[in-house]
Amino acid sequence: MEPWRYETAEDLDQPLVERLRRFPREPDMLVYGLRSMAALTVRGWLRLWHRLEITGRQHLPAADSFVIVANHASHLDALCLLAALPLSKLHRAFPAAAADYFFESVPRVWIAAVVVNALPFARQSHVRQSLALCHALLANPGNVLILFPEGTRSTTGELGRFKPGIGALLAGCDVPVVPCHLAGAFHAWPKGRALPRPTKLRLRIGAPRHFAAAVPGKESACAIAAELEQAVRELQKNHDRD
Amino acid sequence: MNWRSAWESDVVRHFVGLVWGVLALAGLALSIVTWVFKKDVRSIWATYRSWLVMAPLVLGGIFAGRVVVIVGLALVAGIGFKEFARATGLYRDWWMTGAVYLGIAAVGLTSLVSPPNGGPPGWYGLFMTLPVYVIALLLLVPIARNRTQGQLQALALAIVGFVYIGWMFGHLGFLANAPHAYGYLLYLIFAVELNDVAAFTCGKLFGRHKFRSEISPNKTWEGALGALAVSLTLPWLLRFSFPHFGPLQLVLAGLIVGVGGQLGDLSISVIKRDVRIKNIGAVIPGHGGILDRVDSLIYTAPLFLHLVDYYYRIW
Repeated sequence: MEPWRYETAEDLDQPLVERLRRFPREPDMLVYGLRSMAALTVRGWLRLWHRLEITGRQHLPAADSFVIVANHASHLDALCLLAALPLSKLHRAFPAAAADYFFESVPRVWIAAVVVNALPFARQSHVRQSLALCHALLANPGNVLILFPEGTRSTTGELGRFKPGIGALLAGCDVPVVPCHLAGAFHAWPKGRALPRPTKLRLRIGAPRHFAAAVPGKESACAIAAELEQAVRELQKNHDRD
Repeated sequence: MNWRSAWESDVVRHFVGLVWGVLALAGLALSIVTWVFKKDVRSIWATYRSWLVMAPLVLGGIFAGRVVVIVGLALVAGIGFKEFARATGLYRDWWMTGAVYLGIAAVGLTSLVSPPNGGPPGWYGLFMTLPVYVIALLLLVPIARNRTQGQLQALALAIVGFVYIGWMFGHLGFLANAPHAYGYLLYLIFAVELNDVAAFTCGKLFGRHKFRSEISPNKTWEGALGALAVSLTLPWLLRFSFPHFGPLQLVLAGLIVGVGGQLGDLSISVIKRDVRIKNIGAVIPGHGGILDRVDSLIYTAPLFLHLVDYYYRIW
C-alpha cells in the first residue's frame, strides 16, 4: 500500500499575523468568509456614501488573468476597483500595496490581507522580488492584479508619472492590461485626512491593451509606462468632459 | 452553573486557591533553577508565561457559566480541528472541512439544549449518537460533488477529525450539564494538565529508558510512571471535588487521567510524526498549537464522563 501524501500548510508553524504577512497566503476559510462580508459592506457603503458610478465594465476580461492599472489618490482607489469586479473574483484579485506601509503594523496587516487581499510590494528595497511575485501571479489563470504605477498616493490629486517598473513587468507578458481612472477620490479622502467625505466617486474602465509583443528592456519599459499613463489621462479627460 | 453559584461554590474557591498556589510554587521553583542553579530554562519560562494567561481564562470561563463553557470549548475544538486540517492538508477541501465544522457546531448545540421530551439541559441521546449523523453527512460530500479521487483519504481524515477532536473533546463541554459540574470539570482539567507537567518533570529528572521511541522520542518510562503515581494520588487529595466518590471511583478517576492523559498525548504525536511536523500550530507561545495543549483532555474527557454516568446514572 502506498503511504498517503499529506499536503501540510506551508505556514503551519507561524502565528496568525505572520501567516497574513506572507505571500502567497494559504487559503483560509475564515479569512475568505471575513473578506466576503467586508466586501459586501464596502460595496454597500461606496454605493450609499459615495454614490459610486462605474462605466466600462464590459472591458473587464471574463476568464483570463489580467492587470488593472489606475491613478492613485486615496485609500478608496483599491476598494473601488475591487468593487468593480464580480464577487466571484474577490479572492483572486490582488491590489499591490506598499509593504513598508501596509505590512508593518498589525492592524494594517489585518486590513491589507483580510479586507483588501493585498500583495505586499516592497517598493524600496526588493522591487525585483516583488515584480517576480506579480509575474508568478499572472502566470496562473484567473488572477487579477491591481497596480498603481505612480507608486504612491498623489498629494495634489493630479496624475503623477508612471514608474517604468510597470513596463518592466508587462513587456512580453501575455495578459490584457486594463487602464482605469477614478475621479473624486482625492477630494473624498486625501492623504492625511482621517475619514472620507461623502463625495461622489466615478470609475471609468478603459479598453484593454496588450504588450505581449514588446521586447523586455529599458526602452520598452519606459514606453509602456508612458502609454498606460496616457491611457489613464484620456479616461480622466473623458471624466472632465462629462 | 452561573457566576453566582460559582461564587458560592466551595469547590470553585478551593480550585482557584489551588491553581494560584501551584502557579506561584512553579514560578518559585523556576526562579530558583534559573538564578540559583544558573540553568538555561528559557523555553520553560515561555511555557510558564502562557500558563499564566490560560489559567485565568479557564477559571473565568467556568465562572461565566454553562453556556460560556460549552460554547468556548466548541470554539477550542473548532480551532483544534483547523490545526489538524492544516497539518494533514484536509483544509484544502472546503466541503469536507465545512461539514466537520457543522458537526462541531452540532456537538455544542446538543450539549446546550434540553431533550425535546423535557428534562435538564444537555440532549444526551442525540449527543451520543451524533457521529452516526455527522459521518452520514461526510459520506454525502463526495457523492454530492460526484468525485472519487482522494476522497477516501479526505473522508478518513474528516471522520478522525470530527470524532476525535470534535466529539470526544466535546464530552468535556457536556460535563458542564452534570450535577457536580464544577468538581468534574475543574478536577479533570487540573489533573490532566498536572499529569502532563508531572510526566515532563519526572522525565527530565529521572528519565533513562525510552518509552515509545518512534512516536515521541522525549518520553521515558520514568516520566510516564511518575505521572501515573501523581495522578493516582490526586483524586484522594482533591476529594472535595466529588464527595460522593467511593475508593473504586477515586482509583478509576486517577487511572483515567494517569493512563488516558499520556495516551492522548501519544495519539496526537502519532499524527504529527506521520505528517512529519513538530508542533501542530503556533497559537500558544511555548506550547505550540491548541491541539498540543488539549491532546490529553481529548482522550480522558469521554472516559471520565462515562465513569460518572455509569456509577451515578446522571443521564
